[in-house]
Amino acid sequence: MILRRLLSLIPLVIGITFVSFLIMKSAPGDPTVMFQDPTVQLQDLEQLKKNYGLDKPLLIQYGYWIKEALKGNLGFSYQTGKPVTLMIFERLPATLLLSVSSLILILCITFPLGLLSGYKKDKTLDKLVTFFSFVGMALPTFWVGLILILMLSLKVNLFPTSGYLDPALANASILKQTFNIAYHMALPLLTILIGGVAGLIRFNRFSIINILSQDYIHAARARGISEKRILFKHALKNASLPIVTILGAGLSSLIGGSFIIEYIFSWPGMGQLGVNAVFARDYPLLMGSILFSSILIVIGNLAADISYSLIDPRVKQ
Amino acid sequence: MIKKITLILLVALTLGCNTTKERPYNDNTLRLNLSAEPNLLNPILSTDSAASSVEAYIFNGLLVVNEDLELIPELASGYTINEAGTEYVFTLKKNIKWHDGEPFTAHDVKYTFETLLDPKTNTVRRSNFVINGNPIKIDVISNHKVKFVLPEPFSPFLVRISTSILPKHILEKEDINTTEFNRNPIGTGPYKFKEWKSGQYIMLSKNESYFENEPKIDTVLFSVINDPNAALIALKKQEIYVAGIPPKDIKSIKSESHIQTHQYYDLIYSYLAFNFNNTHFKDVRVRKAITHAIHKEAIVKGVLKGHGKAAALPSSHLLWSYPDTPITAPSFDIEKSKSLLKDAGYTLNEKTNVLEKNGTAFEFTIITNKGNKEREKTAQIIQQSLKLINIKVNLQIMEWSAFLKIVNNPTPPKEFDAVILGWSLSIEPDSYSIWHSSQYPKGFNFIGYKNEKVDALLTQGRLETDQEKRKAIYKDMYTEIVNDAPYVFLYYPETTIGTNTLLKGLSAPGPSGLLNDKTKLYLEL
Repeated sequence: MILRRLLSLIPLVIGITFVSFLIMKSAPGDPTVMFQDPTVQLQDLEQLKKNYGLDKPLLIQYGYWIKEALKGNLGFSYQTGKPVTLMIFERLPATLLLSVSSLILILCITFPLGLLSGYKKDKTLDKLVTFFSFVGMALPTFWVGLILILMLSLKVNLFPTSGYLDPALANASILKQTFNIAYHMALPLLTILIGGVAGLIRFNRFSIINILSQDYIHAARARGISEKRILFKHALKNASLPIVTILGAGLSSLIGGSFIIEYIFSWPGMGQLGVNAVFARDYPLLMGSILFSSILIVIGNLAADISYSLIDPRVKQ
Repeated sequence: MIKKITLILLVALTLGCNTTKERPYNDNTLRLNLSAEPNLLNPILSTDSAASSVEAYIFNGLLVVNEDLELIPELASGYTINEAGTEYVFTLKKNIKWHDGEPFTAHDVKYTFETLLDPKTNTVRRSNFVINGNPIKIDVISNHKVKFVLPEPFSPFLVRISTSILPKHILEKEDINTTEFNRNPIGTGPYKFKEWKSGQYIMLSKNESYFENEPKIDTVLFSVINDPNAALIALKKQEIYVAGIPPKDIKSIKSESHIQTHQYYDLIYSYLAFNFNNTHFKDVRVRKAITHAIHKEAIVKGVLKGHGKAAALPSSHLLWSYPDTPITAPSFDIEKSKSLLKDAGYTLNEKTNVLEKNGTAFEFTIITNKGNKEREKTAQIIQQSLKLINIKVNLQIMEWSAFLKIVNNPTPPKEFDAVILGWSLSIEPDSYSIWHSSQYPKGFNFIGYKNEKVDALLTQGRLETDQEKRKAIYKDMYTEIVNDAPYVFLYYPETTIGTNTLLKGLSAPGPSGLLNDKTKLYLEL
């Protein structure tokens, strides 16, 4: 059953890449637009386009790409001449590290707080949480990032300003490297948490409030079931349904990385790779990233569907 | 409540603590930053400035530009040019070795230029070595002598030949576009490539058998720090030793005792260019009137906070080719501007308060690219200035690709009225691609400027090899151009660089950079 659904996703992914290819090509410019420089001559740019095969008809260009992609070859980046797969895999660890740890922390913070805040609606705790989550949502990420660098790095010198691993530790033990990376990760992680927690708490709170006003909760209360049991057994499971949907859709952003965070903290992740590929019109790299994230979106949706049926047996029919 | 208290405590803690001035690193390592990761480290393929700053440590050219912006021999010990100006013979220094120990010879030079000329190489510099459709020829005379044969005399060739040389013995069997060498380069320069961690840093170590003085600093570490604000903080925290400083931060940096600031003018000029296909701008009096109406000093003050200098012609006073005696350029003079427009047949429409000629209002649009705040602000100031002489200006800020699509449109007339842009200058004064009439509509003469005298002078300048004679030719050309006012030459921006006081042996501040001579640099630890 799952296998059949997985197979049916292949044409979907191919369709996504085809549409993306057409959109990408219809944007003005090409990989040579970067060289607006009087020392560069136009015939060189023409030759470059020819070398990249950009003089061929669109469909042939796409056909060539998909043929090679199905064989597992995503080609070479225009900018670096590196294999696209290698470029993506080089950047993946840093992105995954940051996104997975921030996701876990966000869930650990938002679930209990959202639950409490929804349960104790309009009490002091709820008001406090609401206040801080609105503040968190209102602060722009780049500003929070820069303020954190200014305060915690420059003023009190608690953390380094940017980077991933101290080059001096390139040959150090894994343990030392891990600590060093964690040390560098503190500020970007904190920046993500401030925005991420704020958003998801509101969501959790709302869905708990929604569930608690349902008839079956009133019925459960009427039957004298303990509040604890109502909250954790009945409400929590149902409230987690919309969260699963959000997480499923968010799977691709896990590897997509955040351009702003990576830019401010010089974090060597995927976000910068994709955005720079767009600006430089690095088509092979761009198609590679699109393929990657479309596969993840599709799988994320599938995973969400499956976990839905696990949480809520009614969905199976 | 607890949260509030912790927050208050945290804020108090943050404000209470002083900036730490302790240096985090005390090793003999030069710590620099790159604002973006280089694409690859192969000097004939790379086009980004991050790559060229790293390549300057690893590679050498036959000639190199020194801190006085002069071309001096580097891998070559000298060169001769024949009477006709078509044969350049370079004698190479002996006992130069590649980082892997192999000797450097004339074959490497031949290989490098032939690879540049190969159409399969993804380089944008091939045409530099093709003169009027004919490629140059490279002959190896002996292991230490190489001859370049040009199809015709071409003096800009000397600057172009300063391209870095690649090792033939490593690359000859490789595909130059995708070879591993591009990420693991081997050169002849003062530093050897050691390590590159994608998105993080590039590390170089000194070349102990460098053919000139041995470098004094053991390691050069380039960290990738994308955000200029973060780079500035890293400079303050002494995590890096050199960083560019935006005008708004110069005051705050000057108060830091461990940072020294240096200033110099960039080899760049900004300009407002008129499309010669626009009916208003066909008349030289109109172009001059607009030039008279723009207060360049005010732009320098308003846009660059005074860190710049007004420009009058398409060259820089830092270059040898800049005329010694001044060329009369239109000064800021509103009255003159108004009378020129009157002579050109424009009359004021009292109702709209805009000038008119033959019933059409004098209204035009300036386009410039998004993301360059200086250009956007300049456009606004020009818009206000021209309002004073009753010309209506609209502004349009466009994404770079969309902008180029209009400017580079190969079929005339290009759909724009005027643009604000900047050109970078090199020590070679030849600006054929910008001003020659053959470079329209395809080419960088996108405004359609045509002056036969300028065309002839450009050709003459390329044929003449004597520097003094060339200087006279280019002075004549600048005089013609200033007289035609195809551009309003706006300003040269000034760059401010901050360096940590422990870094010594810096070159005189100038466009070739403070770290021009790598072997002189040392750290006072």
